[in-house]
Amino acid sequence: MLGVAIAGAALCLVLQRPRHVLSVIVAVSAAEMLLAVNIWAAVLAGPGFVTIAEQWLYVDAFSAFHIAVLVLVFLLSSAFAGVYFTSEAEHDFTLPVARRFGALWLGSLAAMLLVLASNNLGIMWVGMEATTLLSAFLISLYPSRLSLEAMWKYLIICSIGIAFAFMGTLLAAASIQSGGATEADALFWTHLASSDAHLDPTLMKFAFVFALVGYGTKAGLAPIHSWLPDAHSQAPAPVSAMFSGFLLNTALYCIMRFVPPAQHALGTDFAGGLLTAFGTLSILVAAGFIVFQRDAKRLLAYHSVEHMGIIALGYGLGPLGAFAALFHTLNHSVCKSLAFFAVGRLGQRFGSHEMHTISGALRVDSLWGVALLVSLLALIGVAPFSIFMSEYQLLRAAAGAG
Amino acid sequence: MFALLQTVHALGLLSGFALLGTSRIGACIRWLSFQGILFGLVPLILHEGGSGWRAGFLAAGNIVLKGIVFPLLLLRLRARADTSREVEPFVSFVTSVLFGILALGLSVWLASEMKPALRQAPFAMLDSSIFLISVGLFLIISRRNALMQVIGYLVLENGIFVFGVITVVGTPLLVELGVLLDAFVGVFVMGIAIYHINREFGSVEVDRLSALKG
Repeated sequence: MLGVAIAGAALCLVLQRPRHVLSVIVAVSAAEMLLAVNIWAAVLAGPGFVTIAEQWLYVDAFSAFHIAVLVLVFLLSSAFAGVYFTSEAEHDFTLPVARRFGALWLGSLAAMLLVLASNNLGIMWVGMEATTLLSAFLISLYPSRLSLEAMWKYLIICSIGIAFAFMGTLLAAASIQSGGATEADALFWTHLASSDAHLDPTLMKFAFVFALVGYGTKAGLAPIHSWLPDAHSQAPAPVSAMFSGFLLNTALYCIMRFVPPAQHALGTDFAGGLLTAFGTLSILVAAGFIVFQRDAKRLLAYHSVEHMGIIALGYGLGPLGAFAALFHTLNHSVCKSLAFFAVGRLGQRFGSHEMHTISGALRVDSLWGVALLVSLLALIGVAPFSIFMSEYQLLRAAAGAG
Repeated sequence: MFALLQTVHALGLLSGFALLGTSRIGACIRWLSFQGILFGLVPLILHEGGSGWRAGFLAAGNIVLKGIVFPLLLLRLRARADTSREVEPFVSFVTSVLFGILALGLSVWLASEMKPALRQAPFAMLDSSIFLISVGLFLIISRRNALMQVIGYLVLENGIFVFGVITVVGTPLLVELGVLLDAFVGVFVMGIAIYHINREFGSVEVDRLSALKG
């Protein structure tokens, strides 16, 4: 597991040197192949968990699921990036841009894998911060005024958010120490969640709130989502797909790692209640903003805010809700990536992402037009698609809990 | 040890207020460097006696990065960006200093709230870390120069560093290294971003970055 993850990271460092524009795509898919092996290893260990390097890396079913979704989204996005960038290879997508894209792309993949596989809350934080820094330049791959503005907002807001998350991490570690446990494994969430850890309730409460706000910034939960639509609308389409399809989930995953210790120290109501509140607020705020959007990519971005809200709500609702939330994670990641691909491609075609200019997409480019239609229908939650199923299950969970 | 911590505390508060009340970016960078070195000393003061090399390593890493490398980087950026050397904040300097006093009161109160749960943490450092965090946040939102925002971020980072040092005695070295590395790369990335912004907009005033709304 560890070997493959690091190999993936190392691979992107090695491969960025002798690259022609087209071999970017080859490099990406090569790394993806390795990482596909990665999931298999995780899935095979399904019943229990895999742990390596004295528990520094620890993958259980929850993180294995997230890794699987991550690699799937990355595989799709990389394949699409090939299509997307070759069509502008002539003028815009020059060698330096291609190099930068490849390196940062695989770098953020490695960072996200690190987040998902690490057992240590500190290392998890380091990985999360690394994703922010690496993906910042993906947004302004073509430096323009708007993309620079989006990038600066992303950088500043997420850095502050992540700093708060670090406070949360520190407080979690402090809470266990004042309970008189050993120092060595104070930051392992496996230890924090286990029943023999004595946590200080006050500190754990602070810790959870800091972590929720901090990682919530990155996940785009409602009051602190303001970077998200800008970044999504200005980034090149494959990058937006990756952001929306997976970066947000990674941040939510981090929050979820704080939930078991918080429940352990404070009872189930506190953490669940906060998650439900943030989730509901996100859904409402996003639903309000969606109505006024004219840019298709911004629309999709607010849509992501809403779906993150739905997922957080699901986690907040207890076991049945959590199942629905996981199912929803998969559905949302795949459909949202598809939608961004379609919009990106059509945007290239039409030279704009304004929705009224994209009208008539079905006639102009039937393949991507149909893709956009299908993905939008799926995202709205029309009956036969799987998002309908997961949202339905979530409603059942909510009805059961309420 | 106690007297030393008191000195660090007083000087730290002074640097916070100086950052709030200074208009020249160069002077702010110098105060930032002073602050970095000052708080870099905290692990040394706290761990005199036990586990010497780790505290020393941490302190050295911090002093070198925050006291020397970052300020130099920022100074170079300032020279490159060729901005007006005065900051024109959204909030006047008098108000900023008043905010500092408010923040100080708030941090003393918060620190005394947290104190019972964090028995081993010295009070002076607890409240100065919260003070630095709030000053950093305030600088980020109230200044319109991108360089000042980076300075604010670093002040925030200083505060969190102090908080980490006093509350968590046993963070693994790997984590600390990761955090330092992230801070380093973060400033580097922000530096490059500022460079691009300056080239594109001809200025590093962030109130020009206002096209994306809604």
